[in-house]
Amino acid sequence: MEPLVEFAQVSFAYGDRNILKDIDASVFENQCIAVVGPNGAGKTTLLRLAAGTLAPASGQVTLKGRDLRSLKQREIARSVAFVPQNVEVPFSFTVEQFVEQGRTPFLKMFGGLCSADYEAMRRAMELTDAWSLRSRVFNELSGGERQRAKIALGLAQQPQLLLLDEPMQHLDIGRQFEMIDLIDLLRSQGIAIVASMHDLALIEGVFSSVWLMSPGEPMRQGSPEEMLQPEILEIAFNCLPRHRARLSERMRNRMEHVL
Amino acid sequence: MVGEVIEKPESASRGWTQKRRQPWLLAILSVSIVLAVFIAAGMGAVRVPLWTLAGHILSGGSLSDDQRIILFTIRLPRIMASLLVGAALSVSGLLFQGLFRNPLADPYVIGSSGGAVLGASIGAFLLPPISAAGFGATALLAFAGALGSITLVYWLARVDGRTPVVALLLAGFAVSTMLSYSSYFLEVMDHDFGTGMRVLASWLHGTIAQPTWPQLAIVATMLAIGLACSVPLARNLNTLALGEEYATHLGLSVQQTRIAVIVIGSILTAAAVALGGLISFVGLIVPHMLRMVLGPDHVRLLPATALAGALFLLVADTVARTAIAPAELPVGVLTALIGGPFFLYLLRKTKQGAM
Repeated sequence: MEPLVEFAQVSFAYGDRNILKDIDASVFENQCIAVVGPNGAGKTTLLRLAAGTLAPASGQVTLKGRDLRSLKQREIARSVAFVPQNVEVPFSFTVEQFVEQGRTPFLKMFGGLCSADYEAMRRAMELTDAWSLRSRVFNELSGGERQRAKIALGLAQQPQLLLLDEPMQHLDIGRQFEMIDLIDLLRSQGIAIVASMHDLALIEGVFSSVWLMSPGEPMRQGSPEEMLQPEILEIAFNCLPRHRARLSERMRNRMEHVL
Repeated sequence: MVGEVIEKPESASRGWTQKRRQPWLLAILSVSIVLAVFIAAGMGAVRVPLWTLAGHILSGGSLSDDQRIILFTIRLPRIMASLLVGAALSVSGLLFQGLFRNPLADPYVIGSSGGAVLGASIGAFLLPPISAAGFGATALLAFAGALGSITLVYWLARVDGRTPVVALLLAGFAVSTMLSYSSYFLEVMDHDFGTGMRVLASWLHGTIAQPTWPQLAIVATMLAIGLACSVPLARNLNTLALGEEYATHLGLSVQQTRIAVIVIGSILTAAAVALGGLISFVGLIVPHMLRMVLGPDHVRLLPATALAGALFLLVADTVARTAIAPAELPVGVLTALIGGPFFLYLLRKTKQGAM
């Protein structure tokens, strides 16, 4: 099966600071991947490369076999939706007007929204439970509501791949569980998901694979069971030896929580 | 464009919350403009009662020669000028606010008007042959000045792809002051070109000049071009509101949008300045008022902003020329007196919000 998005020997650097080196990885349909790693390991950079808003310094990223650099951003945005971590809107857009921007890659220069656009927006808002928020002002939403509106904008792009940058951040535990349900639901709709994740305890049972990034190390890939081992995490997250017991305990609790 | 969706709701658009106020508002504004034109035409030293005017339009005749001359060579051109200048200033304010993602941007505040005045002054004082070439040349130089100053302010005020309020206001203030006083400098240096002096003084105070019909035609053409080009841009400004990176991801050509807004905003500023000089805060007040009624969608704001701006400045200019008759107040004085406090109120509000 052809991968949806494929990284081939991808490297990236900000100035002379190397972030990613020789990444080889693929995202297939129906996959749900958690990207984990310490701060500054390049999780967001990896997502931006997949979204085509950054171009690799060497190697290539392909979307269904075509080099992203040969595609217009409009074309990419019809298959891949990137949901950023922070969005700042200077005007008081309603959720509806906000989600409408997800139709940008489909609109002609002088054309307005047609009924297909409204249908896509409605479906996106219904899936994310944001339909009831549609007349609320985006800037006045709570963290969880805002996250839902952002994902609704991404779904209005009718993507095959959804890239979520820290979707759990600033969410209380109840909203985190709702977000997990939502990710599960989207996966059941046939949308592939790649999400950068801070909280390791929320990964198992939802994500089918884990990409573990660590500065200066090659990226490791595996199932959550394989990757979320204390010995592996200790090295990847550069934990101090005296914290080894604490890390093991945290990970054991996680297993019990899942079982 | 949005109007279509509102007028014939299809099954997919049922249940949407799009406010239906826009067509109503446009109708009310249009009617108000017509009424205001009639009232303003009748006001002044020689009164022309409303019914005399209406009778003239309906059946012809019934106007004395004096009234006819005053109407068609003095009042109507002045009225047209204030309508055009108001619309141009308000729409350029709306465009700049979208570009800077900042509701405080206004052609006066960000120095674009100052640049246009300097451009026009260079024509008047340094290049007499050009200014002798006529009003079109003045407008062209004003455009060049507006374009140069907005580019400079944009370049100065941007920090990592964002335009913080403080940086924008300071850069705009500095550039604006510099340019206005450069114009003043030109005036002082110019000993033997007395007519330019009066022109500059009225530019700096924001007086709607007594235009001729050909001058009005030039400005009307600039406004028409500016408005027509703004229509496809309005939707882009909505997307740009999400931030440059997000907009880029969604397939918007951010760079093209930016350049288009700067050029079109400068055409509109130049159109306004060529007739009215430095009229402050109109581009700030009008879009803000309309946002309170219509929300922040630039597509819906654009036509309403043009109409409301025209109405606003016509009313302001009529008050300015009749309130202390026989003397005339420059309309710029009036808008500054209303707009200054309004600007401070907005600044305070924006400071409380997380800008």
